[in-house]
This record gives sequence, structure tokens and C-alpha cells, in this order.
Amino acid sequence: MLKVENLRVNVENKEILKGVNLEVLPGELHVIMGPNGSGKSTLALTVAGHPKYRVVGGRILFNGEDITNLSPDERARRGILLAFQVPPEVEGVKIIEFLQQVLVELKGMDPVEAYDLIVKKAEELWFKEEDLHRYVNVGFSGGERKRLELLQAVLIEPKLLILDEPDSGVDVDSLSIISRKIDELHKRGTAVLLITHYGRILEHLDRDDLKVHVMKDGRIVKTGGGELVERIDREGFSEIFEEVGA
Amino acid sequence: MTETITMSDAKAIIENQIEELAKRNKEPEWMTRIRYRALEAFERAPLNDPVISEEELLHFIAKPEIKGLPENIESLDDLPPEMKALLDRLGISEVEQKYIAGLAVQTDTGVIYNQFLQEWAKRGLIVLPTEEAVRMYPDLVKEHFLKLFRVDESKLTAYHTAVWNGGIFLYIKEGLKVPFPLHLFFLIQESALAQAPHIIIIAEKNTEFHLIEGCTAPILVRHSLHLDMTEAYIRDGARGQLTVLQNWPEYVHTRPMTRARIGRGARFINTTVGLGTGKSNVANPKYWVDENGYVELNGILLGQKDWFVDLGGEMYLQGKGAGGINASKAVIMDESTVITRGIIRAEAPKTKGHISCDALLLSDRATMETYPGLVSKVDDAELSHEAAIGKIREEELFYLMSRGLDEEKATQLIVKGFLEPMLKDIPMEFLVEIRKIIELAVSGGM
Ligand SMILES: Nc1ncnc2c1ncn2[C@@H]1O[C@H](COP(=O)(O)OP(=O)(O)O)[C@@H](O)[C@H]1O
Ligand SMILES: [Mg+2]
Repeated sequence: MLKVENLRVNVENKEILKGVNLEVLPGELHVIMGPNGSGKSTLALTVAGHPKYRVVGGRILFNGEDITNLSPDERARRGILLAFQVPPEVEGVKIIEFLQQVLVELKGMDPVEAYDLIVKKAEELWFKEEDLHRYVNVGFSGGERKRLELLQAVLIEPKLLILDEPDSGVDVDSLSIISRKIDELHKRGTAVLLITHYGRILEHLDRDDLKVHVMKDGRIVKTGGGELVERIDREGFSEIFEEVGA
Repeated sequence: MTETITMSDAKAIIENQIEELAKRNKEPEWMTRIRYRALEAFERAPLNDPVISEEELLHFIAKPEIKGLPENIESLDDLPPEMKALLDRLGISEVEQKYIAGLAVQTDTGVIYNQFLQEWAKRGLIVLPTEEAVRMYPDLVKEHFLKLFRVDESKLTAYHTAVWNGGIFLYIKEGLKVPFPLHLFFLIQESALAQAPHIIIIAEKNTEFHLIEGCTAPILVRHSLHLDMTEAYIRDGARGQLTVLQNWPEYVHTRPMTRARIGRGARFINTTVGLGTGKSNVANPKYWVDENGYVELNGILLGQKDWFVDLGGEMYLQGKGAGGINASKAVIMDESTVITRGIIRAEAPKTKGHISCDALLLSDRATMETYPGLVSKVDDAELSHEAAIGKIREEELFYLMSRGLDEEKATQLIVKGFLEPMLKDIPMEFLVEIRKIIELAVSGGM
């Protein structure tokens, strides 16, 4: 489904990704771990099509199609959704109006039907109907922001969901609902690429079919199964890095 | 400009128009005398307009009507095709379209006076064409006409006063609260006269009203200069709201002149929604605020094409505890220029004033300038200002696009969101159209 081939990416003329290879098949669950600044968000934003992240080598395939030069909205239409690490505030745009427009545009839904669906799904992520009349992310706590990202994922039901640290800056209760929703989406067939620091978010997820990648300095330096998560939680990254000579 | 119009030519033309208006309106002599006083002031009054020169003004006086428009508009099919197409795209009903085309407006009154308002008249709400009010309520009008302006302040105030025609007179009896917004749309299409409506608002003590003037749809006007004057008296404890909706065509210069006196504990919210500001729009409204009174001047502006907008706004906080807010939000496109220069003068203790100016530049050739002025004559006033001029943030645009909205739709959403907080007091039926016009403007469809 997603195939990243020898991807090299520059941000403001500095090389950040130095040849990343990654393949996610339909319905799979992949986890990317790695220290701060290793390039995890850069990978996520590049796959989603952020114009600031310039691909200088390699390519990105989605369902066999080269999407390296597609605009972000065209990628979204093909089924890619990124839940942001730091979702921006959009002043003056009400959540409900935004989500309605997204469902109308992306899924061809009727606005009234969309409204009802949004209210229903929002409740499952602890947003009351009146919360939906707030502006997108404006004045939101960390937990609220991440829950709103998940709400969008639940509504859009993408083919591939990339989650950039859905667990950082989040209170314990929000964390458990977020991880349950990820599991729900995954069980319904969404392929998941999850970027995280901690194993905690994986508690509700099936560790047996995990694929775990460890990033350092713009490269994936190790790939393994669920056991890697526990190892990193226990001993940190340094031993793994030593082992692979990175 | 082919022929030269001299000052004496212009004065002769104005004099003729005064005579014609006096006769047509069966005007009492005191009003005609005011007109003559204005004519006399016209020559010596200064003209300090950043766009219109004296030569152009004189020329306009001789030939107020714009050239190149369809001669006779007898049905909607006679409208210029681009305009008809735009009205259709906005989904404006045929009845409204007729209005906008000037087909449904009576030339001598211009105010819709329906049954509904007659009911309210019994309770003390007077809504009349200003000409009629001059005849029916001479004492009230005399006491309030041209009391907030001096006739010789500028050539434009003098010219307006000499030839004013149309406009409305709104009087609200003490204690009366009008629970619905009054929407008045007056446009006089009489080609030989200047567009110079005079509006008088008298809201007696403890009254409430919301007057909405103008319309959101683009209108076909026959004049290249629009000179309206508004005098508002918001007495002690009254709460008034004046919302002006404008969508002028690109050949019109507008010079709205608005002033208001706000009584003790009274509150006046004056909002202008300038969807089409016209070729140029220069305004410098003034407000005098008494003890614990409050005034808010809100400007929502869409600068397009090569349009020039210069908005002042002066607030005199004269009573203890008076407050004022001057807030503007401008979306500036193409090669348009928007200047804001609000001034707040704290002249009494414990007064508060705030100026804010936000601009979103959608083009590299668009220009925004802001010059806030805060003047304090007391030591315990709280005066502040803030300004933010910027472009659409890449992060926001990317976020919306990553949800499947294309660049145009995402930009429209951000622009609407930018203006949204300022549109809080606008009734829904106008909002829908305002949003649609913003969308069209952003995608270059206007
Ligand atoms: N928008 C940006 N502008 C400048 N530098 C950036 C930007 N995004 C990322 N970087 C740089 O790229 C490197 C990788 O960052 P990032 O992908 O955010 O790492 P991670 O998500 O793994 O913490 C860091 O050195 C960071 O400073
Ligand atoms: Mg990151």
C-alpha cells in the first residue's frame, strides 16, 4: 500500500531524511520509534505532502501510484490521513463546519447526514455538541487536540492513518480512549503507521503483528517485532544503536 | 475629462439643484436656507481628499452620472451580463435583483414603508424618508440636522449639505426596544442629482435598535461619487447598533460621513462590512462618548483590484468611565491598498480605549498601512493598540489541505475564519450571502 523508496528530504536546504525505505501493506500496524530530532515527523509530513519538505531523492508510492509530487489534498483523496504531532490553531473556523465540509468534499456525504455522524462520533471522543462550535484547536489542551485528530480519523476512515505522537502531552484518560480508537480503526482495516516515544500507547494494540522501526539521524536503523518496544522501554535506544553500529 | 468646469459653473449647477429640490420636496424655508448656507461655504471650504482633486469634484458636480452603463434598465435582462451572472451565482432572488438594479426603488421616497412598520409607529418608532421628516417633524429635524458636522469643514460636507436628497429619519421613543433589526435599503437612481442621502438617528433614553443599511449584493449605481452623511444621537442608557453593508462597483468613490453622540451609560456598535469598497473609500467617523458610555467601531474590509481604502475613526471619551474600541479586519487582494488610522482621545478619568487592526494579505502587491493614535489628557486612562499584518500561514493551509480540501477551498475557509469573529452581530440571512461573496472574491470570481 505505502512504499517509501530510498527517500531523501531537505528542509530549508538541510538534508533531514537520508534514504528511508519502508513498506506498509494493507491492514498492517507499523510503529516508528526514535530519539527527538531523528526525522520521524519529517517522514510523516513528507508522506502527507507538506510543501516545506522537499524530496530530493527517492519516491513515495501509494497503491502502486507515484504520489511524490501530488498536493496534500490529492493524497488525502487517495486515502492518506496524518494526525499531526502539533495540530495548528485555525482561528474563526468552527470544528463542526470544517468537519462537515471535509465529509461533504471527501466522502460526498450530505451535510445534514454529516452533521449527525460528527456529533455521534464526537461523543465517543468526549466532545459535546457545543464543543464542536469552538474554533479548530484554538485554546485546546494537548489531550483535546489529539482527540480531535482521532475524531477526524474516525470520521474519514482513511486507508492509511499516520499518527505522529498521538500520546505526547496527553492525560492518562485521553491516552486510553485514543489508543482504543486506533485499535478500532485498525481492526476495521485501516493500515496504521504510528510514531511514538513510549510503549504505553500500544497497550490496547495487538503486539503480535507489530512491525517496529527505529530511526536515527534520518535513517531507519533497525526493524523488528513487538519485542523491540519492550526493549526500548527498558533500556533506551543506545544499546540498539551500538548493536547496529549507528 | 474633456471640458473644464469652473467653480462658478459648479455653483450655478448646485444652485439649480437646490431650487429643484426645494420645489420637489415642498421644503420649508429653513431647510432651503441651510442648503444655501452650504452653497456659500462650498467655495471657501478646504478639500482634503487623498484621491479626488478639486477639478474632478467640479466635473462630477456637472456630470454626476457615470457613462457606459445601459441607458434604460427596464428589465433584469438589461443589466450588464457580468453583473447578472454574478447575481445569479450568489443565488439572489429575482425580487432582490430588481431592487439592486434600481427597478423596484421609487425615486422620490426610496424607503419601504410597510404595514409592519406602521404598527410599530403607534408605539413610537418613526421611520421616514428624511425629506418627509423635514415636513412632518420640523422641530425634531431642525434640532438634529447638521449638528454633528460643520457645513464648511470640507467641500464634501458643504456639497452634501447643499444637495442632500434621500436617506432616512429614524426616531425611537424613550424606553422603546425594537426587537428586530430594521433593514433599510435606499438607493436613489435619479441621474441628475448627486447620491447624497442624509440619515438621522435619534434613539431616546433606554431604547434599543439595530439598523441595517445597504445590501451585500453588488449594486448597479449610476453615480461615480457617493456622499452619505449619518448623524446618530444615542441618548442615556440606549443601546444602538448600526450595520452598514456595502458592495460598491469598482467605478464608485464613496465618502461616508458618520458621527454619533453617545450618552451616559449608552452603547453604540457601528459595523461596516465593505465587501466591495469601490474605487476608493475614505471615511473618518467621529464619536463623542459621555460618562460610562461605550462605542465600538468595527470594520470588515475586502480590498480588491486596485481599490483604495482609507479608514479613520476618532473617538472622544469625554465622560468618566467611557470606553471605545476601534477594530478592523481587512483581507487585501490584488493591488489593493488599505489604510487604517483610528484615534482614541481619553479626556476624562478612568476611560478605556483599544485599537486593533488585523490584516491578511493575499497578494504580494497588496498594501496595508496602519497608524493607531492614542491621546490621553488624564493619568488614569487605559489605552492600548495592537496590529497584526500577515499572510496565510503555511501550517494552517497544509493542515486543511491534508484533510482533502483543495488550496482554493482551504484558503476560503481560512479567510472566512479570519473575518468570522467580527461578523458576530450580523443576522444569519446576511451572513450566508456575505460568506458566499468572500468565497467568490478569494477565488477571483468577483
Ligand atoms: N520545519 C522545519 N524547519 C527547520 N528544521 C526542521 C523542520 N522540521 C524538522 N526540522 C529539523 O529536522 C530534524 C528532524 O526533525 P523531526 O522530523 O521533527 O524529528 P522527530 O519528529 O523525530 O523529533 C531536526 O533537526 C529538526 O530541527
Ligand atoms: Mg516529531
